[in-house]
Amino acid sequence: MSNALKDKKKVVAKGLKILCDVKKCVACKTCELSCAVEHSKSKDLSAAVSEFPLPKKRRKVLASLNKALSVACQHCKDAPCVAACMSGAMHKDESGATIQDKNKCVGCWMCIMVCPFGAIDRRIEEKIAVKCDLCPDRDDYACVTTCPSGALFAGTVDEFKKKIKKV
Amino acid sequence: MAVNKSRGSATNIKLQEIVRTCGVESVWDREDAQTPHCGFGELGLCCKNCNLGPCRIEPFEGEPCYGVCGADKDVISARNLARHAAAGSACHSDHGREIVHTLKMIGEGKAPSYQIKDEQKLRDLAKELGIEPAGKSKEELSRLVAQKFLEDYGRQDGEIAFLKRAPQKQQDIWHKLRIVPTGIDRTVVEIMTRTNMGVDNDYRNILLSAMKVGISDGWGGSMIATEVTDVIFGAPKAQRAKVNLGVLKHDEVNIIIHGHVPLLSDVIVTAAQEPDMIALAKQEGAEGISVAGICCTANEVLVRRGIAVAGNFLQQELAIATGAVEAMVVDLQCIMPGLTKVAACFHTKMISTLPKARFPGMEHIEFQEEKALEIAKRIVEIAVRNFKNRDKARVNIPKDTMDLVAGFSAENIFYYLGGKYRATYRPLNDAIMSGRLRGVAGVVGCDNPKLMSGGSHIEMVKELLKHDVLVVQTGCSALACAKEGLLVPEAAFKYAGKGLQEVCAAVGIPPVLHLGSCVDNSRILIACCNMVKEGGIGNGLDELPVAGAAPEWMSEKAIAIGWYVVASGVFTVFGSPLPVLGSKNVTDFLTREIEEVVGGKWAFEADPKKAAHLMIEHINKKRVALKLRPMMYETSGNSMEEKKIV
Amino acid sequence: MQYVIIGASAAGISCAESIRSSDKRSKIVVITEEEFPLYSRCLLSYYLAGSIKDDGLYFKDKDFFSKNEVETLLGVRADKIDPKGKAVMLSNNKKVAFDKLLIATGSRSKMLGIPGIQKKGVFALRTVKDANGIMEMLGKSPNVVVLGGGLIGLRAAYALRSRGIDVKVVVKSGQVLSQILDEVSAGMIQEKIESSGIGIMKGLDAKEISGDGNVTGVLLENGNKLDCGLVVVGKGVEPNMDLAKSAGIDTAQGIIVNDHLETSCRDIYAAGDVAQTRDVASKESTINAIWPCAVEQGKIAGRNMAGDTVRYGGSLGMNSVEFFGMPVISMGITKPPKGAYEELVARDDKGTYKKVVLKDNIVRGYICVGQIDQSGVYNFLIRNEVDVGRIRSGLLHKGFSFASIAELIKDNKEKFSQEEFQDIVWTY
Repeated sequence: MSNALKDKKKVVAKGLKILCDVKKCVACKTCELSCAVEHSKSKDLSAAVSEFPLPKKRRKVLASLNKALSVACQHCKDAPCVAACMSGAMHKDESGATIQDKNKCVGCWMCIMVCPFGAIDRRIEEKIAVKCDLCPDRDDYACVTTCPSGALFAGTVDEFKKKIKKV
Repeated sequence: MAVNKSRGSATNIKLQEIVRTCGVESVWDREDAQTPHCGFGELGLCCKNCNLGPCRIEPFEGEPCYGVCGADKDVISARNLARHAAAGSACHSDHGREIVHTLKMIGEGKAPSYQIKDEQKLRDLAKELGIEPAGKSKEELSRLVAQKFLEDYGRQDGEIAFLKRAPQKQQDIWHKLRIVPTGIDRTVVEIMTRTNMGVDNDYRNILLSAMKVGISDGWGGSMIATEVTDVIFGAPKAQRAKVNLGVLKHDEVNIIIHGHVPLLSDVIVTAAQEPDMIALAKQEGAEGISVAGICCTANEVLVRRGIAVAGNFLQQELAIATGAVEAMVVDLQCIMPGLTKVAACFHTKMISTLPKARFPGMEHIEFQEEKALEIAKRIVEIAVRNFKNRDKARVNIPKDTMDLVAGFSAENIFYYLGGKYRATYRPLNDAIMSGRLRGVAGVVGCDNPKLMSGGSHIEMVKELLKHDVLVVQTGCSALACAKEGLLVPEAAFKYAGKGLQEVCAAVGIPPVLHLGSCVDNSRILIACCNMVKEGGIGNGLDELPVAGAAPEWMSEKAIAIGWYVVASGVFTVFGSPLPVLGSKNVTDFLTREIEEVVGGKWAFEADPKKAAHLMIEHINKKRVALKLRPMMYETSGNSMEEKKIV
Repeated sequence: MQYVIIGASAAGISCAESIRSSDKRSKIVVITEEEFPLYSRCLLSYYLAGSIKDDGLYFKDKDFFSKNEVETLLGVRADKIDPKGKAVMLSNNKKVAFDKLLIATGSRSKMLGIPGIQKKGVFALRTVKDANGIMEMLGKSPNVVVLGGGLIGLRAAYALRSRGIDVKVVVKSGQVLSQILDEVSAGMIQEKIESSGIGIMKGLDAKEISGDGNVTGVLLENGNKLDCGLVVVGKGVEPNMDLAKSAGIDTAQGIIVNDHLETSCRDIYAAGDVAQTRDVASKESTINAIWPCAVEQGKIAGRNMAGDTVRYGGSLGMNSVEFFGMPVISMGITKPPKGAYEELVARDDKGTYKKVVLKDNIVRGYICVGQIDQSGVYNFLIRNEVDVGRIRSGLLHKGFSFASIAELIKDNKEKFSQEEFQDIVWTY
């Protein structure tokens, strides 16, 4: 986690983002696995693969031409999903993150219809939408912490750019 | 399953610190850096067998469900597991081959550094192999017996010789399943063929072939290694010795032998005892030369010559960090390439000896059986001359040592159990039938930084002892418990249930019997055969009230051992799961379905106490099926209260 | 500054929130006919089906007005607007002055001119009152006839069928959801709906609703009669423009607004189902009576009212619905006229149907039945009128995703200046 935001933790409104350096992403999909495990009941890979229903990852490694990009909800300032949500489930919280109130979600998929990153998925068993929730049960982010190549980064864009320039 | 992770004893941790202050990582640091390990690998869902890939199968929802060739998660994880088994089996079998080859050379007079120390065993083996020993010299018998065993390696039809030792019931099962190994090398080659892209794509079929390569290890390569090592280096003798890093000497040249094959280690021990070497040591300012072992080669010289053991697998870097080791000489298997970085921070000379086991940074002195003693002395001399480079200020030899009794074998157990007058397995079987002993458990295998760095063995064995289970051990597992003081007769009074205590007290044995190195897991098979032959506790290995465990397995060799133990009908618990959980079908085959065909199966349980109870429950089930008497002293829960039921 | 907003549904509430986020001090007054506003009418069919309770209908917390310091006049109708005097006359004879006004009066269900439409047991499904009225009658397990094969009609039918009610849907056109789906996708949906036991009758219209005081049946144009005890009318909506019309504000299909959502009268804005805006896909000036459009228009109108100058990019028709586990999303022009448009189609064996409508290499329309998860990426392409010539061949690829268009964004920094896009493609 970047130094600037260590005290403030997850303050999206102050510029916190999770970004992926495509030059370092090796498409190993560890971020997908650790996201799914973090959102499982047992929080353990060996047990998670046998859970019912299976845990759902909120991050995807996408391939295009010769590059791979790890993508999840960008917690957009003017979030289209918040505008499209007709039940008020998708909303912005105090930190600026786009958060979903699972109890209000009716599974209409309007959010999926408008998310430009394709970052929202359907949980078919429970008929609700799922997306990145910034790992509310931990101080860090499962995907960033477990990324073995250092492609994923949590911090402001300026810090990200500085970090890349350094290397 | 959530696991308790620990870095070992306080002493170990202190030495890990020393390694770190040298700016070097130890195995624990490297394990932290690798955590979390690749999930696809852990689950067995990664296939790198061909250039259509590398492929991975999505473990949760969605795609991809197939590799590019169309293989699904069942095929991929089964193939991976079979290759692991083949590699592990190959290691043990190759070890056996080297020993047999030396037997041949002894017979041809080409290996003067070695002798036949157990001629009786040589004659017995000859008879077993259909060679009439009467009237033949031991040299001739060496040639003939070696020839027969070498045939087993390259056999193209028939079956491996030692298969006949197994109870008929097991042999019939293996014949029915068509998994009787023809020749040892062939089973390994077959797996490489089968698991190639586009060959065997039926997961059950693949797993049966893995069972075959396991059998060719346990009833083939490992058993041959054990028997012929006894012939050349002598049968094990129960004796007291010392274990743990405290065995390193402040005033003597310390040489550590590390690896597996006693062809090297035994000769180093001999060389270090030669008068001219000792004289040289004194010249160099040392009081003498001390040889201590690490890993299985340590066990080999321990059980025959009472040589002290410095430590087990995870302590190899720490031994160097004591600053008191002049030379560590290695052959093969379980030797961390990370050693050279640690050695570079101290005066320790690292010496490799085999062309097939090279390590950058080690001085390579090629070992040849023909000139064994000469080369061994050269190596000892290098160590002796290095003594003056020891920096006394950096010496940190821990005080930890522990006594242990080692050197039990399938043959000599019954001497201890019954004394010379009743040298049979009868007393053991009777103890089990009468309910004094619940059964026997084999706790074996490696120590692993992903788990309790050896601590799991201790907890498991203590729990088993509490419940009157006699424990037999080999390898690093035995050393882990030895360091805790479980391998001495006195341990029975501290840890054993009343029934087991009575047996140990009557006979004078520890409640935990050290049977040797990892190839000596074959001794467990032989002992079980003897128990069956003795009668009353089952007509097949699958009926015996026994169980196996490898609570902190690390090596592919452990997978091969697991396969032959399960194939022989014995329930086996592994600490970490095998890398197959990504496939429900393969997991189900290994943990349930396979029991229907061979009478044995796996369970995966990282918590050592829970695992011990899985074994106890299994043993209880077998007792009930055999209609044995209820346990004499039934323990309940954690307390040691007893109700004597007569 | 006094802001007045007429209407407290998607557009009105979004506007109030938007104004308050930049202007913390001025007064905001919201006028609504509803006694208990802040519920989402899009959720009514879920309420009808029993999937949510009445407290689940609200899309904002009950303290929304107090938290945002918005004054409300509930259960009050705005009767007249005085554009010159800058005041709104209310049904309770009171007057409210405004500096800036938003007309977000929404639309009403078209109840048709069929004889018998006023009988008891005939409902639209637009308000909570409608939904409660329907639910009260379900105890008698009446047969239900739904008039109209559009979204409202089908959703009402779906909701009632989920409760085990016998439902028949009378559809005037040759396909269900004729406004938003093409024949193929409409056929898939119809098959799914029919498999649940809902009867769909196409090419038919209702001539008369029979019964004395209470409904007893529906007489069709072809002479057949359907017995029923309840009729739900889903024949579309029409905008509530009377207020604007009588105030002399320019209207056509709806209230005409410019790129800043201002009407022909200065300081009077319009947003939501009542507003006529430029459709991004068809380029026509039309109404897109869709929840996300209403929210977005309300937000941008609010920002413009509060003094900012924000351009509204245009509306886009888009819908997402799921019937018995079959989801379908559609956007833009889904049934293009022959000629200038290209239609790319893909199907798979798992029940997915995807169609992309292009004109001059720009995506103008999209339908997806089944694997809808990357639909938002196409939405982005339509709304931003992205030239997809370079990636045409991959548009219907199973693995089509944001990464497929990332390079297009990277090469177009001015067009896709929104920070989220630039930040994510920065390392490409």
